[in-house]
Amino acid sequence: MPGWQAIYRQLRDKNFEVISVAQDTNGVKDAGPWITAASPTYTALIDEKHLVSKLYNMVNVPTGVWINEEGKIVRPNEVAFVDDRFKTFTGLDSEPYLTALKDWVEKGGKSVYAMSEEKLRERLNVNDPNFVLAAAQFGLGEYLYKDGHLAEAIPHFREAQRLNPKSWNYKRQAYALSDAKRDYGTTFADEVQKAGGNKVYYQAPDLPTVDKKP
Amino acid sequence: MITARAAIAAFVLLLGPLAIHAKQGRATVVYDDVATEVAAGDAAQLWISTADLTRATRFELKPQGVCRDQLCFPVPKARASEFVRKDSGTTFFNLLAFAQLVNQPVAHDEALATWYFGLRSDQREGFSSLQAPDFTLPDMAGKLHSLSNFRGKKVLLVTWASW
Repeated sequence: MPGWQAIYRQLRDKNFEVISVAQDTNGVKDAGPWITAASPTYTALIDEKHLVSKLYNMVNVPTGVWINEEGKIVRPNEVAFVDDRFKTFTGLDSEPYLTALKDWVEKGGKSVYAMSEEKLRERLNVNDPNFVLAAAQFGLGEYLYKDGHLAEAIPHFREAQRLNPKSWNYKRQAYALSDAKRDYGTTFADEVQKAGGNKVYYQAPDLPTVDKKP
Repeated sequence: MITARAAIAAFVLLLGPLAIHAKQGRATVVYDDVATEVAAGDAAQLWISTADLTRATRFELKPQGVCRDQLCFPVPKARASEFVRKDSGTTFFNLLAFAQLVNQPVAHDEALATWYFGLRSDQREGFSSLQAPDFTLPDMAGKLHSLSNFRGKKVLLVTWASW
């Protein structure tokens, strides 16, 4: 969050807004302390139902989407680190993403980082019926958990994880609500190893390489 | 009917906590993430009264179809009996058949007689126009913000989580 605040401070006079959305089933209770500590001046929202992940087919955090003045997507889901606090884990340098973001805020549709419509359509076209079912299973799990039925919620969280194995959100949020080892027979760290390690867990944003003029 | 229901209610009261799972004839419908208790005769199906339909989903059964605000889904005439049936003066509607019609995912918990309805196809088609799907969510103070309020600005939308 301090990273987003820094980028917001740099770019806010250029008709630019940051909207951060916490994907936290327990809402303010879990996300609140982080927001209070960062005291952001950009728009920091709470999303107990993971609605944004559902609407945009997001599978991990942090995931960034660029949206232009007309409300159209310019760059879809990608890993969005704007500082290097997690670099030891991710191995990702935030600099290329920040450069790209600044370029787009400056130049709009003329920025090389604004994706072509063709590429956008290709990226956004996630039509796996299983993912839609997974979202419903996850939603039911969340509802039952909040209604005081954690034990009954677990099979539905598991089903969501099975139907959309690409979603880290379904795994990590469910693990955070109970004892992962006991209820899912695994841990986040184990899952990352199984998937092929940190580099697979966070894939670097697919940014065009731009020749740096001397 | 009323007597039978009263008898069931008394039975549940008598058993108290033991009867949590025995929601005889009742079901919970979670629609648009809002939970509503409805009467459902058969636990494996979801034939609910049109009054419950409107209470749980805000959809209404009209001559032109199943409607809510500007949205209307016509009921296929040849298959009307799969959706609507009349029983001693009450009209019942099959919410599961409707979900299938509008390509809406459903998740079910049998023990707790709870049905969760996901996004309908009309709520999922945002990407063909490349328009960013709109949403309305609260900040920490509970104040609501919609993405569409930021029209005219460039927006970095970014998710994160405490976990």
